Amino acid sequence: MTEILKSVEYFLADRGIYMLTLVLLAIGIYGMIACSNYMKKLMCMNIMQVSIIFFFLTFGQKEGATIPVLLNDFLSADAYINPVPHALMLTAIVVSLGITGVGLALLMRIKDIYGTIEESEITGKGGNGK
Amino acid sequence: MENKKVMKKKTIGLILVIIIVAIGALRVGKELPTIGDLNTPANTNISRYYISNAENDTHAQNIVTAVLADYRGFDTLFETCVLFLSGIAAMVILSDKKKIPEKSREELLAYHKDSNFGSKLMDGAFRIVVPIILIYAVYVLFHGEVSLGGGFQAGALIACAYLLNRIIPNFENAFRKVKVEISLIAAGIGAFFFVLTGFIPMLYGGRFMEFDHLPFHADTLSDLHADGILMVEIGVTVCVAGVIITILEVVLERTDFDD
Amino acid sequence: MPILLLEGILLMAMIAIAISIIVGRKLLSATIIYCAFSLAAMILYTIAGAADVAFTEAIIGTISTVYFIIAIKSIRKSSLKSDGENNISDDISEREEDGK
Repeated sequence: MTEILKSVEYFLADRGIYMLTLVLLAIGIYGMIACSNYMKKLMCMNIMQVSIIFFFLTFGQKEGATIPVLLNDFLSADAYINPVPHALMLTAIVVSLGITGVGLALLMRIKDIYGTIEESEITGKGGNGK
Repeated sequence: MENKKVMKKKTIGLILVIIIVAIGALRVGKELPTIGDLNTPANTNISRYYISNAENDTHAQNIVTAVLADYRGFDTLFETCVLFLSGIAAMVILSDKKKIPEKSREELLAYHKDSNFGSKLMDGAFRIVVPIILIYAVYVLFHGEVSLGGGFQAGALIACAYLLNRIIPNFENAFRKVKVEISLIAAGIGAFFFVLTGFIPMLYGGRFMEFDHLPFHADTLSDLHADGILMVEIGVTVCVAGVIITILEVVLERTDFDD
Repeated sequence: MPILLLEGILLMAMIAIAISIIVGRKLLSATIIYCAFSLAAMILYTIAGAADVAFTEAIIGTISTVYFIIAIKSIRKSSLKSDGENNISDDISEREEDGK
């Protein structure tokens, strides 16, 4: 039983987690293309962003290390998690909130002008329908 | 119906995408470094310097705040500017005349007089919860260097308290709202304070955002860096709170919670 | 349990939640499932060791969900107002909820 757990863990550390993260990214991109409601496109954009942020955070993990807040006695530089990806991802999360806000403002204007927020109806109706 | 056909096509496409990407990612995943290894290039180059010297350079025990506001402060400056820009964009896009007209005070009082959808309960809970949230926000801002927290969390918490105020329908406080122009000006003042923190060392013989030459009275160099980090965090807090309140007000002007 | 195994299980749960957002029918239920997705992301960040990022994601996730709900409410109201009659309104709001 422990052998199976060890082999599964080795597989996950090598490529399993990267595979799951990339599958989540692909689901997010596919959702942005295939959903025809504009609100769902915005939600899929946020799904994509969560997967990318987690992908960056995996570069900082170390075995047997603790969170990057210094303890009372400084053990060594190997006992704390790499703090550089955390700082970059903090700004990324807050900027994505601003982008969602601007996207919702645009969505309300589209609703005013075209009367619907389904893409299949807009491209068939007036604007630049093929 | 054509709805069923569209959904079946979408489901088949989803399954195809998952299978192809899973197989491709298994082949590619060997090239990326193993998770948890101690000798990857990300863990050995400059992060060792940051971890070892964060306490000596600045008085901060939270290494993430020290990296965010002191070692990589330029990054945070432009992020604040981008956030402010998104607030301006949201206000400009929705600035046409199509707003829901405001009701007068008598109409609102007469409307809410006989609605007993837990209005007293929510009013009481709101009066207890909001001061706790605001005090917690100030605590998170000032303890950002010692424990978890920082500027972004504090700004979002202040905006959360305001959000609670706007959503609960209590007719006594129905007119305590913040105008869009005022909150946008506040966000701008926050961003300007951040840039000022970077600009002041230039007047005293340093470069842009070099906290060694701040004109405060301090014992050691690391105290000056701690002061600089605090000023940066205050600027970021005010900007983030202002932008979130602006976007909320702009979107709320066009809805009325009639039911 | 080892940390990587927990991360793997949580990632598989998040894939299931994301699939159910895309394939769902009504728009309001997709918003509430999006809130659950944000919560799962916060737990994932905590397990991976990033405590600051998890704190930020918790707050921003709830604020983002509230933005979506307010926008849905505004869009549905404006469709009712622009028609002006009560018997067409059910049709239009149901058609909008069928987000595909």
